[in-house]
Amino acid sequence: MLALKMLWRSWRGGQLGLIFAALVLAVAVVTSVALLAERVERALVSESSVFLAADLVIRSSKPANPEWLQRAAEEGVRTARTVSFASMTYQGDEMHLASVKAVESGYPLRGTLKRSQIPFATEAADIESVSYGPAPGELWVDSRLLPLLSIELGDAIELGDGSFKVSQILIEEPDSGSSFSSMLGARILMNWQDLDQAGVIQPGSRVTYRLLLADGEGFASYVDWLKQQLSIHERVITPDEAQASIASTMDRGRRFLLLAGSIGVVLAGIALALASHHFASGQILQVALLKSWGTSASRVRSLYLQQIILLGTIGSLIGLFVGWSFHQLLISVVREWLPIALPTAGPRPWITGMATGMLCLAGFTLPALWHLPAQSPLAVLRRDTPIKAFNAIVRGFLGVLAVALLLVWYSNNVILALAILLGFALTAASSIGVGLLLLRLGKTYGHWMGSIWRLALSNLWRRKKPSLIQMVGFSGAIALLMIMVVVRTSLIDEWRWQLADDSPNHFIVNVAAYELDGVKQLIDDRKLETAGWYSMVRGRITQLKDLPPEDVVAEGHESLRREINLSWTRDLPEGNSIVDGQWWDDSVPSNSDSQNSDSQSSNLAPVSLEVDIAAELGLKLGDKIRFSVGGLEFDAVITSTRSLNWDNMTPNFYFLFPEGYLEEYPRTHMTSLYVPAEEKLLVNDLLRHYPTLQVVELDKIIDRIRTIVSQVTRGLEMMTLLILGCGILVMFAAVSLSMEERLKESAILRTLGSSRRLILGVQWVEFSTLGLMAGLLAALGAEFAVAMLQRFMFQQEFVWHPWLWLVGPLVGGLLVGILGVAYSRKAVTQPPLQVLNSL
Amino acid sequence: MIEVNQISKQVETSEGSLRILDNINLSVQNGETLAIVGASGSGKSTLLGILAGLDLPSSGSVSINGEDITAMDEEGRAAVRAGHVGFVFQSFHLLPGLTALENVALPLELQGVADALRTAEHYLERVGLAARVGHYPRQLSGGEQQRVALARAFACRPTILFADEPTGNLDTGTGGKINDLLFALNEEEGTTLVLVTHEKTLAARCSRTLELQGGRQLDAANTNTAGRGA
Ligand SMILES: Nc1ncnc2c1ncn2[C@@H]1O[C@H](COP(=O)(O)OP(=O)(O)O)[C@@H](O)[C@H]1O
Ligand SMILES: [Mg+2]
Repeated sequence: MLALKMLWRSWRGGQLGLIFAALVLAVAVVTSVALLAERVERALVSESSVFLAADLVIRSSKPANPEWLQRAAEEGVRTARTVSFASMTYQGDEMHLASVKAVESGYPLRGTLKRSQIPFATEAADIESVSYGPAPGELWVDSRLLPLLSIELGDAIELGDGSFKVSQILIEEPDSGSSFSSMLGARILMNWQDLDQAGVIQPGSRVTYRLLLADGEGFASYVDWLKQQLSIHERVITPDEAQASIASTMDRGRRFLLLAGSIGVVLAGIALALASHHFASGQILQVALLKSWGTSASRVRSLYLQQIILLGTIGSLIGLFVGWSFHQLLISVVREWLPIALPTAGPRPWITGMATGMLCLAGFTLPALWHLPAQSPLAVLRRDTPIKAFNAIVRGFLGVLAVALLLVWYSNNVILALAILLGFALTAASSIGVGLLLLRLGKTYGHWMGSIWRLALSNLWRRKKPSLIQMVGFSGAIALLMIMVVVRTSLIDEWRWQLADDSPNHFIVNVAAYELDGVKQLIDDRKLETAGWYSMVRGRITQLKDLPPEDVVAEGHESLRREINLSWTRDLPEGNSIVDGQWWDDSVPSNSDSQNSDSQSSNLAPVSLEVDIAAELGLKLGDKIRFSVGGLEFDAVITSTRSLNWDNMTPNFYFLFPEGYLEEYPRTHMTSLYVPAEEKLLVNDLLRHYPTLQVVELDKIIDRIRTIVSQVTRGLEMMTLLILGCGILVMFAAVSLSMEERLKESAILRTLGSSRRLILGVQWVEFSTLGLMAGLLAALGAEFAVAMLQRFMFQQEFVWHPWLWLVGPLVGGLLVGILGVAYSRKAVTQPPLQVLNSL
Repeated sequence: MIEVNQISKQVETSEGSLRILDNINLSVQNGETLAIVGASGSGKSTLLGILAGLDLPSSGSVSINGEDITAMDEEGRAAVRAGHVGFVFQSFHLLPGLTALENVALPLELQGVADALRTAEHYLERVGLAARVGHYPRQLSGGEQQRVALARAFACRPTILFADEPTGNLDTGTGGKINDLLFALNEEEGTTLVLVTHEKTLAARCSRTLELQGGRQLDAANTNTAGRGA
């Protein structure tokens, strides 16, 4: 096969080195990024299943229909039932209203329970992970239940009608959830079979049943079937909903991985474009000869097409292997940061890698060679130096098309692809336009500078075409790296609070006015600080839309069954945003002026509802709600709905009023504070002194969030490093583009007796000038792309990044200058003839 | 046989239109040797390119073996070249990545000749480079490189060989040897030779001479009375 022979000879002759390296690199980077991203993504998904202890949960106030369980068993779907409720526990004189959960033996379907024989254990060595719950007759309990009931491990306590042995300390349950109501009272985990003996669940008692579901061949079809059986009493909970507090972190983490991978794709494209350019220049003579011997243009093309297909296949396969090894290496390096065992990847990363190789060759290498046979062989053969006349516009278009296709396929995200492409196009276009101008200016005013500068700047101008191509390569690579670093930095900044060691992890709710000083004193005694106190009143909903609530919400709703917190504020709380309607501004009269007038009864209080609760209660703007607070009733009208921010652990209120409507009712107080593990007994002190307090413990959840966020952060860092390395390699390819000619010229200068200083000086000035201009133009493109990404993809505020405009040119100049000089050192360290002969 | 009928070549430059060749007529019989002579810039290479079908005249026609190549499309001209034409260039134009042997073998391989490498080796032997087959062009002197180029041109057994100042880049001694080799091979293979040169002595070894001056034919292609030397 002639094509194979030609390819082998080109390889042996060294002409394929750059393009092959670029191809392998491109495929390797994309494959490793895609593999890593997919595995991390899958790990994140399975991590979120852990939050549910299942892949899907059906929550209900009623027990699960036996038919569902039977069908699940038939379909091979694993199930486990749990039920949670509040119940009094006793031991001697002590008692505590505990938050009990009874679990079937399959529980947890996902994730593990952490238990210990030592109360308040924090050392990993003392904690054991198990994938089953307590045996019948046993209880696993929260550490703080022991001092609350004055018991030791192994003692028996009374729960309902039964007496059970406390056999283990429960350190962590996977599905501890983030809903406040589930966190009141010390947790007790018991076996489902003991429910009857305890007799705690009576008709009418407030309990929550959960049916946990996971895997099995028929999982998907079973879930489809099950969803049709559900009534309004049941609610389906997906892993994403189970972790609202970190969902957006995860989501942005994923988007960043996608961004990094896409940038890898584009960098790979640039590398291949540069290498193809280099390769095509080297083929001009051969094509001219083939043509002079009477080989038809179509035959020449077919010969090259075959070579490219061969090259693409071999290079891509090697690239896949290198990419795989590289991602293994990365994983092994950061193993300790990735405690979750990474699931294996599907076929998609491999396809992506292979497609990158083939499409980039088709988009860059093929067009670079395609027109060669159309060139007059005479023009080539008669001149001693091969000419380079390419249809840059068509080629650029084809290349961009290839990268665009890859980007869209890779990211499945048009905005991302568009931002990157537009940012890059802006950089490239300005590189050509502004670059030409700057080069011209440099040449014109270089005359006034020293000989090195004069020579260097006029060289750049003389070689303006390759100089511009290099500049597009440099600026493109720098811009893409900037985009990534900026987005990474802003994301990590945003997550900083989640990583902060002292963000609030406990809420103290329902503190009566007369208790306030005492509670503050207890907190002070332990030298802890609160995040400030909030006031609220407790009330009930007695009418919806002038009807009894039962008539509106047939099934009833949590907020209708118990007292709810009503609060007031003038300004929209930070992190809340209006979904519908209008926030009251200063023009809305507060109630205080008209309080005592006759019009009070007709004066409806405006109220702002959390958007989900409004939907669950079937309410919309303008609907009326009647509240009862301390026996007094008043009506309110919904003027706005809000979405809350669950990312930060500040108090969130479902019902908010303007100032002046609630102040005269008896109020209670709440706060949030950070309680370190060693001060955890504060919770017991508080509850013992003030039994009506509610303490919401979020410390375990926050620890989990912190772990996950730091894992995601590490993942991003790893990716950033990988892509940075890739970017530097692209710049290396760009530097080597003009090296042959430069070395030749340097060797000739050397034969003429030029000093090392002059030769390297010229190279330094040329390259650092190119790098400096590239860095400047890259800042422009990066700023634009980042603005687009932050606006449309990460939902962040647009901010200028002045440092880009400084760091870009500086780093660009230094990096490119150093690379260039390092590359051209050969010209001064070896005798000129050796240099010339080696070219 | 090459038949040239009133060809002219005009190119557009930034300074206006430039006439490189002006109304050239000539015919070359099979087995003949024709020298095209003239000062540098007189249009020799341009004429050679047109004769070989690598370029088109602005007007007039060229036919090779009775086929009008100026009326053909690119593919047609390529087919004619593939069947009949060989080249030797002033600057050798060996592919730097290929060994001497592979350089010679490449056009044979393109033609699908079965034992391309053996044929190539044979021709390298004939130009006296049997010992250098595995060497790359950069390891060969200029004269040796041009001998490889000669081997490459003759290995395809062309009926017409076009040579554009084949010794222009070589010193007189080496050049002389290359010329001897060229004429010897030409004799043995019975090839029609069109040779561009600015050396009168070399032109004298050809059966006929065409002299160009500023793109014009000085006189009709003369039969060389000095005859074919040696
Ligand atoms: N494409 C072209 N554009 C402009 N001028 C050309 C072109 N090709 C050849 N010439 C000019 O035509 C003249 C003849 O060139 P050439 O045939 O190479 O001469 P010779 O081979 O006799 O030295 C030269 O002056 C050359 O500069
Ligand atoms: Mg010439």
